[in-house]
Amino acid sequence: MSTILKIFVFPAAMVIMCLGVLTILGGHITPGGGFQGGAMIAAALIFCLIVYGLKDSPLHLSHDFLAGVESVGALLFVLLGIAGLVFSGFYLYNLGVDIYHIVPVAIKNLFDYPDPTHAGILPYLNFAVGLKVMVGLTAVVISFMGFKEYEKGSTETNVEDLDYEEVE
Amino acid sequence: MINIYIGPLILGLLLGFVLGTRIRDVPRSGLKFTTPVYLVFIIVAFIMAYALGPFPYYVDVPLASGFVAAAVGIILGKLTFGRGTKPQAEN
Repeated sequence: MSTILKIFVFPAAMVIMCLGVLTILGGHITPGGGFQGGAMIAAALIFCLIVYGLKDSPLHLSHDFLAGVESVGALLFVLLGIAGLVFSGFYLYNLGVDIYHIVPVAIKNLFDYPDPTHAGILPYLNFAVGLKVMVGLTAVVISFMGFKEYEKGSTETNVEDLDYEEVE
Repeated sequence: MINIYIGPLILGLLLGFVLGTRIRDVPRSGLKFTTPVYLVFIIVAFIMAYALGPFPYYVDVPLASGFVAAAVGIILGKLTFGRGTKPQAEN
C-alpha cells in the first residue's frame, strides 16, 4: 500500500472506532445500535488490517483477545437475559436498573440512562452485541488473510491447476 | 452547575480502553505514530464531538460525550497496556 494510505489510515481508524462506540451507546435512542456500531468498529480494524497487513498492523489482534472479547460479549448478553428470567419469569425481560427498589440511589443513577425511554438493560445489551459483532466480523477477515498467507507458503496443488478429467 | 450523565461516559471509556490496549508500535513497518499523532487525534475528536452534538435528552454538555470518552479511553489504553506488546507474527 502507498505511504499516504499508511500515514492516514491509523488515525482515521481511531476516529471511526470512536464513531462506532458512539453508535453503540446511542442505540436505544438514536438510529444505530450494537450491530451497527460493532460493524463500524470492525470496519476500522479491517481498514488497518488491509492497509498494513496482518503482521504489521498497529492494532494487535491476537487470538486470545478475539476469543476473550467474544466470550465476554456472549456471556454478558446471556447473563442479562437470565437476570430477566430470574426476577420476572421471562428471558431478556427489561428489568430496568432498580430491581424491586432495593438498589441504592447512587448506584441507580450511575447505571440509569435518564432519557424519557428509561431504557433499562437495553444499552447494556447493545454493548454486548457490539463486542460480539466487532470481534466476529474482524475474525472473518483475519481468517481469510491468514488462509491467503497459508496458501502462499503451502506446497499443496492449486485447485485451478487440477486436471479435472484426470480426477474423474 | 453542569450535570454530566455518567452512564455513556463509563461504557464509552471502557470500550475505548479495550481498543486502545491493542495499539502497538511496529518498528519494521517503518512508520512510527508518535505523541503528535495522538494529540491531533484528540483535537480532531473534540471537534467531531462538537459537530456531532449530544444525544437527544442528553444535553448536559454540547458535545457527544460518548465520542470524547471513547477517544480518551483509546489514549489511556494505549498509554497503559498499548506498549511493549509482542509483534503479531510471534504470537
